[in-house]
Amino acid sequence: MGLQCCLGGLKLVSSIPPSSYSSSILRPKTLTLALLLHRHQHSPTLPLPFIVRALSSPAIQTTPSSLPDEKFVKPQWKASIDFKWIRDDKVAMAANIENRNSSANLELVLELYEKMLTVQKEVELLRAERNVVANKMKGKLEPAERQKLIEEGKNIKEGLVSLEEDLLKLTDELQQEAQRIPNMSHPDVPVGGEDCSVVRKMVGSPQVFGFPVKDHLQLGRDLDLIDFDAAAEVSGSKFYYLKNAAVLLEMALVNWTIAQVMRRGFTPLTTPEIVRSSIVEKCGFQPRGENTQVYSIEGSDQCLIGTAEIPVGGIHMDSILAETSLPLKYVALSHCFRTEAGAAGTATRGLYRVHQFSKVEMFILCRPEESNSYHEELIRIEEDLFSSLGFHFKILDMASGDLGAPAYRKFDVEAWMPGLGRFGEISSASNCTDYQSRRLGIRYRPEAASTIPTKGKGNLAPPQFVHTLNATACAVPRMIVCLLENYQQEDGSVVIPEPLRPFMGGLEVIRPKSS
Amino acid sequence: MGLKCCLGGTTFHTLKIAVIPSSSYSSTFRPLSKTLTLGPLLLPRLHKLSSLPQLLPRALSAAPAIQATPSPNPDERVVKLQWKAAIDFKWIRDNKAAVAANVKNRNSNANLELVLELYERMLNVQKEVERLRAERNVVANKMKGKLEPSERQKLIEEGKILKEGLATLEEDLIAVTDELQQEAQRIPNMTHPDVPVGGEDCSVLRKVVGSPRMFRFPIKDHVQLGKDLDLIEFDAAAEVSGSKFYYLKNEAVLLEMALINWTISEVTRRGFTPLITPEIVRSSVVEKCGFQPRGENTQVYSIEGSDQCLIGTAEIPVGGIHMDSILAESALPLKYVAYSHCFRTEAGAAGTATRGLYRVHQFSKVEMFILCRPEESDSYHEELIGIEEHLFSSLGFHFKTLDMASVDLGAPAYRKFDIEAWMPGLGRFGEISSASSCTDYQSRRLGIRYRPEASSSSSPKKGKGNLAPTQFVHTLNATACAVPRMMICLLENFQQDDGSVIIPEPLRPFTGGLEVITPKSR
Repeated sequence: MGLQCCLGGLKLVSSIPPSSYSSSILRPKTLTLALLLHRHQHSPTLPLPFIVRALSSPAIQTTPSSLPDEKFVKPQWKASIDFKWIRDDKVAMAANIENRNSSANLELVLELYEKMLTVQKEVELLRAERNVVANKMKGKLEPAERQKLIEEGKNIKEGLVSLEEDLLKLTDELQQEAQRIPNMSHPDVPVGGEDCSVVRKMVGSPQVFGFPVKDHLQLGRDLDLIDFDAAAEVSGSKFYYLKNAAVLLEMALVNWTIAQVMRRGFTPLTTPEIVRSSIVEKCGFQPRGENTQVYSIEGSDQCLIGTAEIPVGGIHMDSILAETSLPLKYVALSHCFRTEAGAAGTATRGLYRVHQFSKVEMFILCRPEESNSYHEELIRIEEDLFSSLGFHFKILDMASGDLGAPAYRKFDVEAWMPGLGRFGEISSASNCTDYQSRRLGIRYRPEAASTIPTKGKGNLAPPQFVHTLNATACAVPRMIVCLLENYQQEDGSVVIPEPLRPFMGGLEVIRPKSS
Repeated sequence: MGLKCCLGGTTFHTLKIAVIPSSSYSSTFRPLSKTLTLGPLLLPRLHKLSSLPQLLPRALSAAPAIQATPSPNPDERVVKLQWKAAIDFKWIRDNKAAVAANVKNRNSNANLELVLELYERMLNVQKEVERLRAERNVVANKMKGKLEPSERQKLIEEGKILKEGLATLEEDLIAVTDELQQEAQRIPNMTHPDVPVGGEDCSVLRKVVGSPRMFRFPIKDHVQLGKDLDLIEFDAAAEVSGSKFYYLKNEAVLLEMALINWTISEVTRRGFTPLITPEIVRSSVVEKCGFQPRGENTQVYSIEGSDQCLIGTAEIPVGGIHMDSILAESALPLKYVAYSHCFRTEAGAAGTATRGLYRVHQFSKVEMFILCRPEESDSYHEELIGIEEHLFSSLGFHFKTLDMASVDLGAPAYRKFDIEAWMPGLGRFGEISSASSCTDYQSRRLGIRYRPEASSSSSPKKGKGNLAPTQFVHTLNATACAVPRMMICLLENFQQDDGSVIIPEPLRPFTGGLEVITPKSR
């Protein structure tokens, strides 16, 4: 068929290694289903002249992309991205991408989307033609006429096969490009780089010391609490052993935090720390590549979690929740593992930036209209926790340039670390709206939603994507930095804040060993 | 030189490539340098010079002979060792009969004959190296004096030939030493005389504690209880992570924390130092503790693109904490109680024994670890099993303590006591802990020694000044609390007619006073 030669045989072949087309969509089973679905959504119209342009794939090849090498990596899963919405809100979208300093290529996404729609329509057109031919053949026919129809059907079938392949390729490429588009930003998010972040609140005041302060490294050594040297030999740099009272301190922090957050109606969890890479991706993290923060397991598609947000986000993956079950509030304890590739400098001293740590993380799944208020609830819990430990800290509304792709808005808490002589981030609370749920496939079915009868099946309202939020309740090593540095005494001891004492068997002070 | 042709070109070449780069000869061979040349210089001080040239051709026909020897790991033979265990070859040679019996009793695949053969070979090559080095020195000394040009030329030639021969021999020495290491590392630890000889069914019952609880209602297993009480989520974990992963939920989270807190406080009370350890460690440390981080059926998860892996037990990072060091005798015993998550591939595990929480890829564990003087390891082994028995009986478990049979001992263990607790839902006893004395097996690999005090009298020959020679410590490890199996025992043993589960008294102060887990009302 004429269309075929537009595909630019050799180039196309060489740029798509056969092995890369391994996932579900290309296999006929799924293929037919996917295409059948499209049929219901689009009325067949015939913009035939567009097809030639649409299929001149070299145009795609020459479009600049910031990730040229990854262009043809087949996506292993698909996000339910609302392309129509992206197209209709192009201006806002473009501004958001710019504000967030994102590398996403909106023009390319829209171009690919139009192309895909066009090919989709053509596929439907050909399929309709094939059906016409097939129907004709059911009747009684002259042999010559039957032969003609067979030929015709054969031609249509060939054209359809190549078009369908093309559709898959376009869909994949569209997915890949569109997945790079960051979440939209809350209107109150300050636009700009990190220094544009706005202080929402300042709590407490810096501890005044009448003696020369030590940093947590020195305190850790003097009180025999942390062993970095042995860990460097056994594991590598930025690993550590906690020892003696530091072990009790970690356990007390974790226990106290979980008790506090549970009291507010959160369900406690401990999570797997090895997860499939696809879950990591669906939560908006990059498990592969040069500068990944993610440790991968050799010889498997699994990796270590960098935060419990990942396994908790995955717990309701690919499901439709009852509206009554929302909000789902979890408080999850896990160890977290990060390569910290590229991290260096003084900010990485001691426990501040390490490869492994214990963390208690809050996670909420809720109806879209409630995510802003739950975001406020999360930051309020953090504030309560840190102020009851007596920390001096500030809460920041993070600037657009500082938001990760999944976040719609992010509040960071930075606490005063007198030994390090600066504020250091101790927690972060993000509203990810439907960014993660569209990737993880987490929806809910609104009740009593007879209002939208057109899309509904029977009395059921169409499912909607939930909103997800996550927030640090207790990142142990940074809490230990704060505790040691803020509560050190002149005699070298460290006072344990009151709320933690019941969780440390009544221990009130960590004193230097007498040896 | 004539010797060279004995080496069998290609084979040796492969060996050589593997040998030279990245080689880090540990303590015994190259204590002072990173280069090949310095190492052999130390040898003359360690060994008397005697030349056995007649033995050399046989000794050096190394490659083909070695290749032909059957080995269970043919592919790994040429793999360069990253570290060396301080194995006492002389002792092995002098106690050949006992070692052979032990290898047999433990059903080990170690090849003692090969080890001894390689050892003799190594000694011979070593001596020959020393002889050539001495000759070279003689030549070098001669050249210091005034000489006729022709005589000098002759000496230069002679020196050159010696140097070439020496280079070849030194390479050979390295190859033989590596192979000896590799073979000798497969020799298991010796066995305590009281260990029953035989397979698992020969293990001897040391003690039975408690009795099985009688139930007047149909009992559930922990999987059912976990589901009914909304405590364990396997299905979501299977999607997110894979099979044999799980989330703990609601009271199960409190129970895990309570178990850990209670265990650590009980064990620290007995003078153990609490630790939280790295869970990613270098593969070499895993090997030095006697585990196999590589290969088909490894239990160890490796990190992609690095030489690191995930720990299967805190025994590994705790064993490593004093690696390559000499401890003061007064510092011993060192007693640690370490909390970590543990990760195991459980390759090859299948069947009903793997149901639910019994065999999982990730779990929390509190582990005891002791480093002590050799003469004390037996009594600390008793102390460790005593602590375990105390812990499990205060929780009200019905269990038995076993002195494990020789075949059931891992290579590092000199003796192992297992505890198997009654799991009524599973309807059988299941292992909940294990206490092993590894004597000096791990310390010889990890390089952990101590210097005995006040021992000027005993062995003045080897001592430097007044210092006694260092000795390897003994290491012991024992499970204090493997959370998932404890959870099985707790849920299955303390279930009630109404579907609730009673939390044993000792844990209640650590669960915020929670006394019973009741079904959610919905």
